[in-house]
Amino acid sequence: MTADAAPVIEAKELGIRFLRNRRQRLSLREMLFKGESTSPRGSFWALRDVTFQVRQGEAVGLVGANGQGKSTLLKLIAGVLLPDEGKVAVRGGVAPLIELTGGFVGDLTARDNIWLTAGLHGLTNEQIEERFDDIVAFAEIGDFLDTPFRHFSSGMQVRLGFSVITTLDEPVVLVDEVLAVGDKRFKEKCYTRMEELVGSGRTLFLVSHNERDLRRFCTRGLYLQGGVLKEDGPVEDALAAYEADQRKH
Amino acid sequence: MSLAARVRALVDHRRILWLLVRRDLKVRYASSALGYLWTVLDPFMMILIYWFVFSLIFHGRDVGEEPYILYLAFGQLAWQWFNGTVTDTTRALTSETRLVRSTRLPREIWVLKVVLSKGLEYLFSLPVIAIFMVANRTGLTWQTIFFPLGLVLQAVLLTGLGLLVASVTVLVRDLARVVRIVLRMAFYATPILYSVKSIDSPVIRQLYALNPLTGILDLYRASVFPAEMASVRVIGVSALVCVLVLLLGARIFARLESPVLKEL
Repeated sequence: MTADAAPVIEAKELGIRFLRNRRQRLSLREMLFKGESTSPRGSFWALRDVTFQVRQGEAVGLVGANGQGKSTLLKLIAGVLLPDEGKVAVRGGVAPLIELTGGFVGDLTARDNIWLTAGLHGLTNEQIEERFDDIVAFAEIGDFLDTPFRHFSSGMQVRLGFSVITTLDEPVVLVDEVLAVGDKRFKEKCYTRMEELVGSGRTLFLVSHNERDLRRFCTRGLYLQGGVLKEDGPVEDALAAYEADQRKH
Repeated sequence: MSLAARVRALVDHRRILWLLVRRDLKVRYASSALGYLWTVLDPFMMILIYWFVFSLIFHGRDVGEEPYILYLAFGQLAWQWFNGTVTDTTRALTSETRLVRSTRLPREIWVLKVVLSKGLEYLFSLPVIAIFMVANRTGLTWQTIFFPLGLVLQAVLLTGLGLLVASVTVLVRDLARVVRIVLRMAFYATPILYSVKSIDSPVIRQLYALNPLTGILDLYRASVFPAEMASVRVIGVSALVCVLVLLLGARIFARLESPVLKEL
């Protein structure tokens, strides 16, 4: 693999706008005919004019205070939100560690749920068959395979989610604050798994408030403030810019 | 994304669509004690109630074909597919919020899986018709070959309505209630309990052709009641309306996709 190949993630003048108040929603007619709400008063730009490229194997940390657009950017990359301006292109698939337990159904057993979620994220039956034991072993739920998912403790639920999503082959891994999963021992296991992913040439995109995590995994940092990309460089620089802004307030 | 690109994306994800349909059926049958029996029992009881009211209480009125209970069965079963799908699509996206927000699947898939899983339930409920056929010693006619055409038309119609309803209800939540009322009215505006032939006014009879369910129900019923077989014109109008509804639904769904995702 060559480092200067085409970027894996390419965001160009990316922007997305949200409505400020719920009343605005009623202008359905506008949305139908223009595809968006036109009133500028009731809306604000959660992200605007964000441009960057990520190459294969890079580990990028997203830094910023709450409500500055970090998760929104992650969702745009994951393709679960659509931009109002500009565009974002991702080469290859994305393994989103965003809503970890999102694919699971409470009434079905853990076994059924593993097949279902892995299938939803594009694994074939043979691939699931092959990885099934690993998924179960990593999540440490061996004795509860045939228990309905809703009887699982929340820790077990997240463990299973993390285990399934990190076995996907997708070249890009998006992580939103889920490193705080489970107890200390399991957390360490997750860290090791993440390091393996980065080591095997995956591209990592991490959102976290935890500086230790960011320094541990990321080489590059993006600092978002007020929906604008203020810093793009080594992770230390991004963290420094963030801290400098924090002190000002 | 163009319409063609969207269709191609759905075709690429057909395996996942099938997975979701199976999940729906599995959840439905795994979470109740009687499971499959409900699929048969529920329409069976409804048909008996209608038959009791309209045949035994309002007796003498000639509104459908004989045996009336069999006539009712066709209408009621197809209506259940229609009613169940439209009702469920009002929450097709909201009930799967977490999945919609964490997967990159084509969003139409959430509507399609409702149409298909309810459609399969419709097929599973067809033994009810067989029961009434045996009880009345009736057999199938050669017009049964039109049955699949009815299925296709109804699936097209429901996909269109589902796309429309699913996207708009996310933005205007009150619509879910409106849909329920409209469905109740549509039940009586559709020839389920009666036949279009029993309507005296020729103008109103013509108007019924615009209800796509009229042609679809005729196609189903022709398998036992050849006299119900609709004219090519009625079926043509019905097919046209179905396709138009699908195109409209697909277009609105695509238009509203971005605001809908922000709202979820």
